[in-house]
Amino acid sequence: MTSLAITTLLPLVAGAVALLLPGKSPRLLRWYGIAVALVTFAQSLCVLAAFEPGQAGFQMEVNWAWVPALGIRFHLGVDGISLWLLMLTTLMMVVTLLSPQATGFVRDRNRGFVAAMLMLESGMIGAFLALDLFAFYVFWELMLVPMYFIIGIWGGERRVYAAIKFMIFTLVGSLLMLAAILFMAVAVHGLVGGWTFDYATWSRLMLPEGTQLLCFGAFALSFLIKVPLFPLHTWLPDAHVEAPTGGSVILAAVLLKLGAYGFLRFALPFFPLAAHQTAPLVAWLAVAGIVYGALMAYAQDDIKKLVAYSSVSHLGFVVLGILTFTAAGVQGGMYQMLAHGISTGGLFLAVGILYERRHTRKLTDFGGLWARTPVFAACFLVIVLASAGLPGLCGFVGEFLVLIGTFNAGKAWREAGMAPAFAHPALMAAISATAVILAAVYLLTMFQKVMLGPLDKPENRDEHVRDLSWTERIVFGIVVVFALGMGLMPGPILSRSEASVDALLENYRGRLAEARGKPEAPARMTAPGGAGRPADMRPTWRGPRGGME
Amino acid sequence: MTGDISLAHALAPLVVTAGAGCLALLAGVFVAARFRPVVNWLSVAALAAVVLLCALALPQAGRAQPVLSDMWVADRMALVFDIIVALAGGMTLMVLDPFTREHGFPREELPALVLFAVAGMIMVVHATHLVSLLIGIETMSLAAYALVGCRPRSGPGAEGALKYFLMGALATGFFVYGMALVYGTTGGELSLPGIASRAAHAGNNPLFVVGVFLILAALLFKVAAVPFHMWLPDAYEGAPTPVTGFMAAGIKAAAFGGMIRLLGSALARPEVALGHAGWARAIGLLAFATMTLGNLAAIRQESVKRMLAYSAIAHAGYLLVGVAAIGYGVAAAQPALIFYLGAYAATTLGTFAVAAWVGRQGDECLHVDDWSGIARRRPALALAMTLFLLSLAGVPPTGGFFAKFYLLRAAVERPELVWLVVAAVLNSVISVYYYLRIVVAMYFRNRAEPARGYPSIATGVVLVVLAAVVLMLGVFPSPLLALVQ
Repeated sequence: MTSLAITTLLPLVAGAVALLLPGKSPRLLRWYGIAVALVTFAQSLCVLAAFEPGQAGFQMEVNWAWVPALGIRFHLGVDGISLWLLMLTTLMMVVTLLSPQATGFVRDRNRGFVAAMLMLESGMIGAFLALDLFAFYVFWELMLVPMYFIIGIWGGERRVYAAIKFMIFTLVGSLLMLAAILFMAVAVHGLVGGWTFDYATWSRLMLPEGTQLLCFGAFALSFLIKVPLFPLHTWLPDAHVEAPTGGSVILAAVLLKLGAYGFLRFALPFFPLAAHQTAPLVAWLAVAGIVYGALMAYAQDDIKKLVAYSSVSHLGFVVLGILTFTAAGVQGGMYQMLAHGISTGGLFLAVGILYERRHTRKLTDFGGLWARTPVFAACFLVIVLASAGLPGLCGFVGEFLVLIGTFNAGKAWREAGMAPAFAHPALMAAISATAVILAAVYLLTMFQKVMLGPLDKPENRDEHVRDLSWTERIVFGIVVVFALGMGLMPGPILSRSEASVDALLENYRGRLAEARGKPEAPARMTAPGGAGRPADMRPTWRGPRGGME
Repeated sequence: MTGDISLAHALAPLVVTAGAGCLALLAGVFVAARFRPVVNWLSVAALAAVVLLCALALPQAGRAQPVLSDMWVADRMALVFDIIVALAGGMTLMVLDPFTREHGFPREELPALVLFAVAGMIMVVHATHLVSLLIGIETMSLAAYALVGCRPRSGPGAEGALKYFLMGALATGFFVYGMALVYGTTGGELSLPGIASRAAHAGNNPLFVVGVFLILAALLFKVAAVPFHMWLPDAYEGAPTPVTGFMAAGIKAAAFGGMIRLLGSALARPEVALGHAGWARAIGLLAFATMTLGNLAAIRQESVKRMLAYSAIAHAGYLLVGVAAIGYGVAAAQPALIFYLGAYAATTLGTFAVAAWVGRQGDECLHVDDWSGIARRRPALALAMTLFLLSLAGVPPTGGFFAKFYLLRAAVERPELVWLVVAAVLNSVISVYYYLRIVVAMYFRNRAEPARGYPSIATGVVLVVLAAVVLMLGVFPSPLLALVQ
């Protein structure tokens, strides 16, 4: 099976080819980009079709020798968690490239834009699928450079500042992660007697407490900057506001998810003890971010900044969900990633439309647009409500599951025989729940200021303020369909990720129990598949599917 | 008879390079000015022949024995370094010729000087004797002093060359003094195997330690490690830009080659390297000082050339991490250093070739602001420069990233060096900031009249080749890895 390799590498190669295409014809470049994104999406659909639900392990693995002398392999694989993030990536790339605001609004140098977007797609897909730590790191960094250029070349007034801030923030984390990767590679080498960067082998490595905390710190810093977790989030509003529409959409919809994904995929299984010990701190920071992001969003006058801060709030839910170490919380966090990708991606597209029509993003400049743009207003309303977490739309499922998971975490930990990760989970859930109300407040206020009220500003009556064109209708149609579909039928998605999430959590709990037994023991390899838990200790509370459909 | 043949084989790279240098010098006198490009191309061909010779000799190099009474060895490491420095010299000649013609100082002795410098570098990396090492260093350096100051009526050029020469002469003095002390304390040994056999015994003698540190100081001067780095920014800035690239790529590779051989063979025993006056710990501290100072100073530079000069100091610091790892007995440190030097040579040659090509007669366009909007006028050039800068910064998928990965992975094998690895990655973050300043200028800023550049197919070819090499080393490093291991 090489379909994963094709999905990963096709955009990269196509991006390089785009640099050779004639730069004079934006139409050709635009359709070239759309075609590549569509083919990649079709490839990922094939992956989805071939995916066997109910299996916990990795499927369709590609495992090629890359640098044999150092044990580096080009190893990709997909499980129930990465499957949906892969689908989100390829879908949102189609949506972004199709959207005239994302590409047509680019002032010039379309060749570079299409090439950067496609290479970015490759980096994101590769990072989601990589099962070799070296390959993961390469893809992780590969996303950085195109995004830096997208912000820096095609961005707004303060684009240089925002691009450099984005680059430096991200690099501080990822280079420390590189140091940790090197350290772990040497530790694994000493234990298994050969160089390997293989994920499965590495997730059996158990470091002693002190080094585990240090290595976890490096990994977690890298991932939590990307998420971004409060107070590491300061790069995000700048990057979002200055990035062009296409960049903002991809940044919000996919790039940020890599932080949470990396945390779930690498930081938890590699460093169970450190993750457990730092869980109270990270969880409280997530709660703080949830509330802080919501309050900041409410205070904004710039629509794009408002949406950016709402991302900080929404992604706090993801981190909180993961840190409950319960099936409901992790599934909810994962679902929230997908839902946020759709809804916030849609919001940034809508902001792009507004900015293109009116050349302003100030809330006070709008008002009464519903009368002029009814179709757009309807789509916008659906997306806003989805983002606010209205039941029946995609945002509800994830936040609800995370809140349930957090609320019941204490009970779930007891039942699973796991040491409590932090005190007062119910209190955390209660505090976080206020952000759901706040989200409704700030998002609906925004909607009201833009769409409702009297059409009293002459600029808004200008003929430039027109309704959606047919391409834009397709773009928003896709977003609305997914916002509705994911809200009404979460089953197909959650059922495919369930086995992988359960296996990940069970492995985590097993390794945690093992680590807590002898925290000071020197580095060692644990038995594969979790350290020998009795079968009756499996979590009985099967989480998310009951009552959701 | 077989001995003669193996001697001829072992010396072939040096003989071809030095012979070609002599012929080029004569040709400069006797050949009419309009045939000078031909002389230049023949010199390039001679260096290509050296590369070919070394590549052919590589498969048999595993069993190489020292020849010429332990003065010279043609082993794998030496041949790989030969290939690196010969390629650097050839590409420098290809870029230097159009550069000097554009800037109005086409000088007939330049091909000869470059060839002599390469000959000196070849001697340095083959030397297994302090005398042959000294002769190599001097040959290389004398040619380099002249190359730095080869631009007539250039104030910065003369200043750089004079500083480089004076401080280089001092370093040579250190080296010779150190040799004398080592000679005296080891009972008359100057060959590296001989020193190695006596080092354990002589290691307790303070005079021996002083001698070793004096020799090391001379080599550290050549690689511009802190605190012996003062000459470098001025010399790099004053030299014609292609020569700067040659120094950064070739002299650094050769000097580190010599250092690896000296430390890795003669002084590698743990009691010498790690004893109470061992060199490994000292090198580790210098590595930290060198990379940090280089990076911090580079942030403040406005001239692209000076920025890259300080970046060269920083890279010497990263490389010294590997040298320290040799002292700690890490087997992977030596191949990692050679890989790094190869990748760094390709990258830095590329950056300086771009810097040479950006300006024109009367305006070299070396200020960062002069680079504004290059991406619009010359997208391919800007793309190549971006690739080289990312490689210098160590961002995948470039050769610079893999080299740094490999080197730091070697260093992290010893717990004593972990702090240096963390320092190195944090330094990389600093370096990204100033490398990106050039990218920001090229891509994110616009200028009414951006830099123009002059027509030169040779420079273009060199850049395409170097960009391909840098990318290949990052994506498929296995071929070079197989060579260096």
